[in-house]
Amino acid sequence: MTVRQFKPYEGLINRVYEIFSIVDKLPERMSDEEVEGVTRLLPSDLQKTMRAFLVPRLRKSSLVFLKAIKAWLDGAHQAKREGKKVILVPFNFPPEIVYCFENAWPITSEVLSTLGVAALEGQGERYWDYAMGLGLPDFACSANMIEVGSCLTESDFAPDAVINDCFASCDINSKTHEFLARYLDIPLLFLEKTVDNTERGIRQYYRYFEALIRDLEEFLEEELDEERMREVIGYANQASELYWELWDLHRFSPCPVPNAFSLMTYGVRYTMWGTEDGVRVMRSMVETSKERLERGEYPAEEEVARSLWTYTSYYFDLAGLFNWMEENGITHLGDGLDLFFPRVIDTGSRESMLEGMAEITRNMPMTRWMGAPSMSMHWLDDLAWWARELSADCCIYCGHHSCKQTWSAVTIVRNELMKRAGIPTLVLQGDSWIRRMTPIETLQELIQEFVDNVVRRGRRRAARAR
Amino acid sequence: MEALQGRSTDIHTEYVRSWKERGGKVLGYACVATPVEIIEAAGILPYRIKAFGHPDTELGDSYLARFNCRFCRSCLQLGLDGTYDFLDGLIETNGCDHLRGMFENWQYAKKYEFFHYLKVPHFVRQDSMEYFTEELSLLKLAVEEHFGVEITDDALREAVGTMNQVQARLKDLYALREEERPRLSGAETLRVICTGSSMRAADFLSLLDRLVEEKSRDPGMEARARLLLLGSATDEVGLVAEIEDQGGLVVADALCYGSRSFWGREGESLEEPLRYLAEKYLGNLFCPRMFMEYERRRDFILDRARQARVDGAIITYNKFCDLHGVEAVSLRSDLEKNGIPVLVLEKDYGSPADAGRIRTRVQAFLERIGGRTAERVEATR
Repeated sequence: MTVRQFKPYEGLINRVYEIFSIVDKLPERMSDEEVEGVTRLLPSDLQKTMRAFLVPRLRKSSLVFLKAIKAWLDGAHQAKREGKKVILVPFNFPPEIVYCFENAWPITSEVLSTLGVAALEGQGERYWDYAMGLGLPDFACSANMIEVGSCLTESDFAPDAVINDCFASCDINSKTHEFLARYLDIPLLFLEKTVDNTERGIRQYYRYFEALIRDLEEFLEEELDEERMREVIGYANQASELYWELWDLHRFSPCPVPNAFSLMTYGVRYTMWGTEDGVRVMRSMVETSKERLERGEYPAEEEVARSLWTYTSYYFDLAGLFNWMEENGITHLGDGLDLFFPRVIDTGSRESMLEGMAEITRNMPMTRWMGAPSMSMHWLDDLAWWARELSADCCIYCGHHSCKQTWSAVTIVRNELMKRAGIPTLVLQGDSWIRRMTPIETLQELIQEFVDNVVRRGRRRAARAR
Repeated sequence: MEALQGRSTDIHTEYVRSWKERGGKVLGYACVATPVEIIEAAGILPYRIKAFGHPDTELGDSYLARFNCRFCRSCLQLGLDGTYDFLDGLIETNGCDHLRGMFENWQYAKKYEFFHYLKVPHFVRQDSMEYFTEELSLLKLAVEEHFGVEITDDALREAVGTMNQVQARLKDLYALREEERPRLSGAETLRVICTGSSMRAADFLSLLDRLVEEKSRDPGMEARARLLLLGSATDEVGLVAEIEDQGGLVVADALCYGSRSFWGREGESLEEPLRYLAEKYLGNLFCPRMFMEYERRRDFILDRARQARVDGAIITYNKFCDLHGVEAVSLRSDLEKNGIPVLVLEKDYGSPADAGRIRTRVQAFLERIGGRTAERVEATR
């Protein structure tokens, strides 16, 4: 008989779910004293995260966001209780597609890992270690391996199926999910990105997308219902419009959009896009940013740098990165995970909705760049455009060590960004979800040096030239 | 055999020099998913890119990162330092993230006039097979247009015929290797295949004919342990020789510079040669880049192990190889369930710093399986 090393209450999802029950008890508005009181009761790792989320400039939207995440976790548990299928998806698969089905609920691998890192004492390390103990390679992606490691203990809340649309854009993600499905003996549904942006390649991608929808219908024993699709996509469309409103607010200097909204935006995108909660969080972030714009609020005396993070950020110390940056005048305009190009889908017919969703899926972060005919060129084009749009003056590549595909292309991107847009890129190295690799203090030091010696000097040179 | 051994680990071989002197063109490719018959039918020499454990990567490192597979960095190094300047073009395939990065940076730095991206689906289904068949017709067209040649269906059929004979001969060679007293070593076999991947098929076939005949008369050799070697891109003849120097004999392999480059390769019907090639290549891609095919790969590997009556298996992969790094976990478990002891050897490709560590681990593994080997030898007496 197999002896389980983990008890069910030790699983990542189960622990996160229990911890998030605290969020339900928090009022929608909290005073500084209440925040102080609550955070003192929490274990140290969670305390740091909650302090990051509950700084006054974020507090209102953070509470809306955290409650919505709790509702998303509730939804997964409720789905399980009702005999519906819980489907594990990667971040680059739009969850609204799963919401279009009555009998399914999406849980997102990378978001769960992030929640574990943010909320649990000891972050996600024990799950990572468990996966390593099985022999999985130490150059795997912690964004997935933390959550997958917990699933592999077979003691945690488990998905009923896995959808993977990462092959052709991320080998390690796709192999990890394939391994998980085989290990748990659950179905793996998949969607290949044709690394081909010609009309033929796009047509082929649509064929694959339709095949996936048929596979889902068969697995869930449910045909897509046009009215339900219209409702879900209606919410997604509202969230898309709010996304672009928030985008426009980033144009102001100093930026009225708090740095952490970058994280919260894709937190919404990858979990609750297509739901009423998703719209609520997006709206709250827009309102908060507008209020800050009206009041001229910025956490530092001066906005000294406007940075784009070209792929991911770091998630093991939210206060240490997002809040620290803006408190030192460094605006985080967003990272690659924010660049999902939401669009309003025509809800006129089932076909128009399916085509719209296929196009959105084809243009999700990572899929759009690494699944393109060139790994660097599409990514580079988007970054150069983004930098121009939001008047960025520097880029930061976080150098998440397992992102081999972006590591393969970053030299070209860095060189060309400098040539085309005159924007310097700082290349860091670290693990975005595991604090062991590069401590936040080291990263802060490198960012500060870059801003002081490269960005500020560049600004001064540009001012003199004017 | 001597003729083959002499040419085996040079990049710019005498054969290639002579081919170029006669005005021949050479196209570089890296992945076994590339149907070389199309290149052959165009009268061009298909050259599979190799690095033979080349330890230097300083130029490659200025483009790729230390988190990228060192095999790709070594190949890129040789591309950038001029070693591969004899190539008249490159064919990229989406074999893995590292390989794509290698090609992209190579082309970014060198700008070949002929650079074609052959897009290979990651699964086998009716729709992906149709797409791959179209991809092959685009490759054919690109070669025709750039090199000013016509690739007729007859020429394709002829190239298929020759290549099928090569593959059949390679299986004969593998059978000699699997005998109770193997007639050639793993290092020799790897040299043969690497040599062949830098030659025109017809020339390689005549060499193979002679080799099989010569080796059939060889009395064979004994080994301390019979091994199966499997894993990621391994053209390191030195590594295999090192394993064999410790007393293990690699009698079977599932390497992409080994059996995975030619085993089980047959299409359905030659009536439509490109469709035939699509089936032959996409349908027989024993590589973890392919999805939903783990059981097929596992069975292939177990078949090789049983056929060659191995005492143990070494799974070797390059550090940062995502595809094989994850696959190794399942394969190890399945091989062990089938009574085959396994050594998982993660290594830094071509790194001299890894040599001592590898030697120690192989020695320890051979010690571990020594008892089994003695039992087997006893049983065969």
